[in-house]
Amino acid sequence: MRETFTAVLFPFVMCMIVGLMSKVKSKEKKTFALIMILAGAWELVLALYLLSCDLRGIGIGVFEVPGVGGLGLHFLYTGFRGIFGVLTAFAWFVTALFSYEYMKNDTNVIRYDLYNLLTLGATMGIFYAADLFTLFFFFEMMSFTSFMWVAHRQTREALYAAGTYLGIAVAGGMAILMGVFIVYDRLGTLAFDAMYGRAAELMMSGEDITWLFVAAGCMFVGFGAKASAFPVHVWLPDSYTEAPAPATALLSAVLSKTGIFGILLITLDMLPMQGSWGAFILIVGVVTMVAGGIRGVMSGNLKITLAYSSMSQIGFILTGVGMQSLLAEYLMAADAAGVEGEAASAIIEVFGLAINGTCLHMLNHSLVKLVLFMAAGVVFMQVGSYDLNQVRGFGRRKPFLLITFVLAAAGVGGIPLLNGYVSKTLLHESIAGYRELLAQSGSSLALSATPVMMKAVEALFLFSGGLTIAYMTKLFVVLFVEKNSDKKVQEAYDAKREYASVLTKAAIGVCALPIPLVGLLPNLVAEPVAAYGLVRFGLSELLRHQQEHVHFFALKNLSGALVSILVGAVVYAVVVRFMMLRGLSAGYKGYRDIFPSWLNMEKYVYRAVLYTAVPFVLGIISRILDSIVDILVVILRKTVYSDRELPYELPEGNRVTHRIGVTMERVRLVYCAVMRKEYTPKNYAHKLAIKEIDVFENFRIIERSLSFGLFMFCVGLGLTMIYLLVVN
Amino acid sequence: MIFVSIVLPILAGILLLIAPDRIFKSRQMLINMTAVSFVVCALFPVLVICRSAGNTLLLFSLVDEIPVFFAVDTIGKIFAGIVIFVFLMAGFFSFVYMSHEHHEKRYYGFYLITFGVLMGLCFSGNLVTLYLFYEFMTLVSVPLVLHSGSKEAVMAGLKYLFYSFCGAYMALFGIYFLYKYAIAFNGGYETSGHMLGFVAGGSLDLKAVAESGSTGLCLTAVFLMIVGFGVKAGCFPLHAWLPTAHPVAPAPASAFLSGIIVKAGVLAIIRTVYYVAGAAFLRGTWVQTVWAVFAIVTILMGSSLAFKEKIFKKRLAYSTVSNLSYILLGLSMLNETAFTGSILHVVFHAVIKSALFLSAGALIFITGNTKVNDFMGLGKRMPVLFWCYTIVSLGLIGIPPTSGVVSKWYLAVGCLESGLTGLSWIGPAALLISALLTAGYLLPISVRAFLKETDYEAMRNDYKEPRPLMLAPVVILAVVTLVLGLYPTPLIQLIQSVIAAGLF
Repeated sequence: MRETFTAVLFPFVMCMIVGLMSKVKSKEKKTFALIMILAGAWELVLALYLLSCDLRGIGIGVFEVPGVGGLGLHFLYTGFRGIFGVLTAFAWFVTALFSYEYMKNDTNVIRYDLYNLLTLGATMGIFYAADLFTLFFFFEMMSFTSFMWVAHRQTREALYAAGTYLGIAVAGGMAILMGVFIVYDRLGTLAFDAMYGRAAELMMSGEDITWLFVAAGCMFVGFGAKASAFPVHVWLPDSYTEAPAPATALLSAVLSKTGIFGILLITLDMLPMQGSWGAFILIVGVVTMVAGGIRGVMSGNLKITLAYSSMSQIGFILTGVGMQSLLAEYLMAADAAGVEGEAASAIIEVFGLAINGTCLHMLNHSLVKLVLFMAAGVVFMQVGSYDLNQVRGFGRRKPFLLITFVLAAAGVGGIPLLNGYVSKTLLHESIAGYRELLAQSGSSLALSATPVMMKAVEALFLFSGGLTIAYMTKLFVVLFVEKNSDKKVQEAYDAKREYASVLTKAAIGVCALPIPLVGLLPNLVAEPVAAYGLVRFGLSELLRHQQEHVHFFALKNLSGALVSILVGAVVYAVVVRFMMLRGLSAGYKGYRDIFPSWLNMEKYVYRAVLYTAVPFVLGIISRILDSIVDILVVILRKTVYSDRELPYELPEGNRVTHRIGVTMERVRLVYCAVMRKEYTPKNYAHKLAIKEIDVFENFRIIERSLSFGLFMFCVGLGLTMIYLLVVN
Repeated sequence: MIFVSIVLPILAGILLLIAPDRIFKSRQMLINMTAVSFVVCALFPVLVICRSAGNTLLLFSLVDEIPVFFAVDTIGKIFAGIVIFVFLMAGFFSFVYMSHEHHEKRYYGFYLITFGVLMGLCFSGNLVTLYLFYEFMTLVSVPLVLHSGSKEAVMAGLKYLFYSFCGAYMALFGIYFLYKYAIAFNGGYETSGHMLGFVAGGSLDLKAVAESGSTGLCLTAVFLMIVGFGVKAGCFPLHAWLPTAHPVAPAPASAFLSGIIVKAGVLAIIRTVYYVAGAAFLRGTWVQTVWAVFAIVTILMGSSLAFKEKIFKKRLAYSTVSNLSYILLGLSMLNETAFTGSILHVVFHAVIKSALFLSAGALIFITGNTKVNDFMGLGKRMPVLFWCYTIVSLGLIGIPPTSGVVSKWYLAVGCLESGLTGLSWIGPAALLISALLTAGYLLPISVRAFLKETDYEAMRNDYKEPRPLMLAPVVILAVVTLVLGLYPTPLIQLIQSVIAAGLF
């Protein structure tokens, strides 16, 4: 369907128009901000139109743009893609609204707008991609254009952060490409639907699929980096801090989801039913979740806390992805073992929980992070800093900020009646359900996960939920409860009534609105949305007959949230109140970052390895290889082909005559000694030298003559003839 | 027509060389006349390429069975096309650039001669003709390296000669041996049967080779030819001349050397492997393995040395070393996909590398600086130039939507398809590591130029965008990089037609 391509192409066209306008027209910033808002709105309309087409079942099919990039681009817009297309357009629209005020004093706003549009187009391309090549094509584009967000401020720190961002993005992109190569070679196709079929075929036929795991591992590096999964998340804190607030909101709300989208595709289409892969993702997810949470609690900076919160929430989503894979494996194994009826539908139900939970948590996280980062942007606009000690007390007597912030913070914290509670409950239920299933089936099925492992996962899941609550409480208390240590500053904060324009408030408000909506009416709103947003379209058939609604407000589910809240309270009391809040100077307590700086993986592992160690080692090896031949030539010159200087200048003749002459002299001396004759020196060297001059003079005369040239020519001909005779 | 297209540039060049200085009343007149001769000289080969009929020419016979013979086929046309394109771009660029060098006339003269010889190389119809022009090309391109006349340039020129002759003799040695087993062919041409002509799929009498039990010898001969011609293509182990010789030439000459002349080595290898020995003869032999290993070593070595190099043009020269081995790696895989990738990369690399050298030249021309760290903050003064630089850089790394990604795709998939144990995945891995290093050595320059502010701003205020005649070639090359990346289908189809002629 052509509109899909239009939706992808439109931002690029707009970018060109804006680019040309900025050259021609006077640089009226407001005009450009308005254009950006209109572009965002139109993109949203396009995406919504596509969604409605999908709901009405019109034109579901792959749209091909042949020839581009050699393989052609393929687009699809159904299900998950539709939802995330709309989400992307929506996020861009609201951040454009927000930027109207936020970016008004920026000197490079047009550049920011241009890259913003490019990134929008690329992101739409990613979500609407129907094959891996298209995905890669736009993914790389997005990595490079979003680089300019991070580098936007052009300060030393921004460039440092941007350097890391670009390094990880390029390395990740190459890793993805390697994965794509392998997939193309092994499966012979890149279209997601066909990939699923081929992969399943391969697995059924029992062929060696190690290669697919290698490919998946490669791609995980790239997609995981964008999603900020644990070992490759190092770019996150610096980049999030340096990018302007609307860009950070987009990075967290949308760009991280592109990475998740990639991982979902690997998990569901490339390695379907591979539980060991699912277990890997699950473990990565848990580590990301816990590590992000811990760093979030320990940070003394508003934006960095939010950044790590983002990482932690991505961990929750990855956990859900891992669960999907594990449950799919379980389903297959149970099917093979002949489990039917009630037991089978129980498995499918838990499976459905994992799928819905993942999709919903992605949506929830996007909405919440849009609100939070834009709210942080509002704070930054007025305060000029993200330091907790500086922004302390800013939110007092600002009801709009308070309401939206609390909605978002409590929402992501998983407080009942808000959206995060719904998705976290779904995920938690799927983990608990899987654990029970494992316990029931015992060891009768060969599976990749053990009950003990699932128990640990469940505990860590709730613990991370507690961490989320702890750091959100920290931010809430700092912004809205405590007073600034400086009385004058606090007065100034309190006096600020006009802290945000209508557009800014509208942007934040629009994002905050669905938070309680989803939370209050989970069965009506959340579940259908989640069920619609399936990545694997075929699954909907499987899940259709599972109609039973989850009882979100049953005691069993509420208890999970309660555990998290308790953990959160304890962590907040111990870590934040006791460890972080210390007297900085006489009479006033401030927050400080208590995470040990030597644990900085980015600086001490990645930069050290990628920028220093690897080039150093490669450089040495290459230098040796590079100069092998040159060294050989030098050695030859010094030994075989040496032009050693004579010890002293010869008065006459050359070295040959001199040597021969001296030798003859010595022979004569020996001869005389043996024959007992009288020795008189005859000075052969001198005689030879004179002879030599004589000969050479003659030779030179011959050499200069024509006949000699002819002679040499004859010799050459003769040699050629002999050669030809010999050869033939 | 073929004859004219080869001889006309050579004659024009010689005329330019021997014409006394006083004929040209002003520099402008010299440039005008040279420009006209560039266009006229380029016109004839274009006609040759466009014509489908009458594309063979028997000039004269060296020996009965070995004539100097020209035949225009598709692969030759592709190479000739790219030569003409880059020749014109670098040529027009040099009109501005050479204004601050001496002996302009000599430079243009040799430049024209080199072009003519290259045309001969592209259109040559048998191995001996190819070899002849190959040697000519080495000789006439030396003055381009020597141009500045400094000690460094002279030493570099000598090194270039030394390595080139080493390679040429290896190749000659190989030709002697292959000659014995070549089948006389008339390849559908009206000329009488002769030896070592180019036949798609190889003209070796494999049966005779096997019967005489000299398979090993023939393989060695082919291997020597690959290594020998590989010298020009900067392939390990005889690559060391390239990073020495290319940077000392004037920038447009570097562009021509790095973009085009090195491709002569590639063409010679293609002719040897695919048109004389035949892909089937080499497939699965030690020659293929060693060749691929050499290529992979060169890829990684070139990139990491470029990463470490601080002098801009030298960095680009190392990058050429690495990128040419992408092409050689693809050729060594001996399958259709990798071959497609190689030829695509020949075209893309020629375009990209000449654009890079030309922008380096423009920067050197304007600022007088040669180190990579000297261009901080210049992006604002010369946005168009640096944008072009960035686009072609992305092309060389292989970031969509620029062209590099297409060739890399075919190369890597071709490597995986080849099924060589180990090499089939080490190859793509090397390509990607090299791409990573490429990003590391090209992108910081544009990042610094655009985003870093310089401390001595005032001093740089007088740096402006280069003159249109200098800028235009760079812009055109950058646009071509983008367009070929977005829509490479016609080119791919052209290469498919080469393959369809029975190459495998």
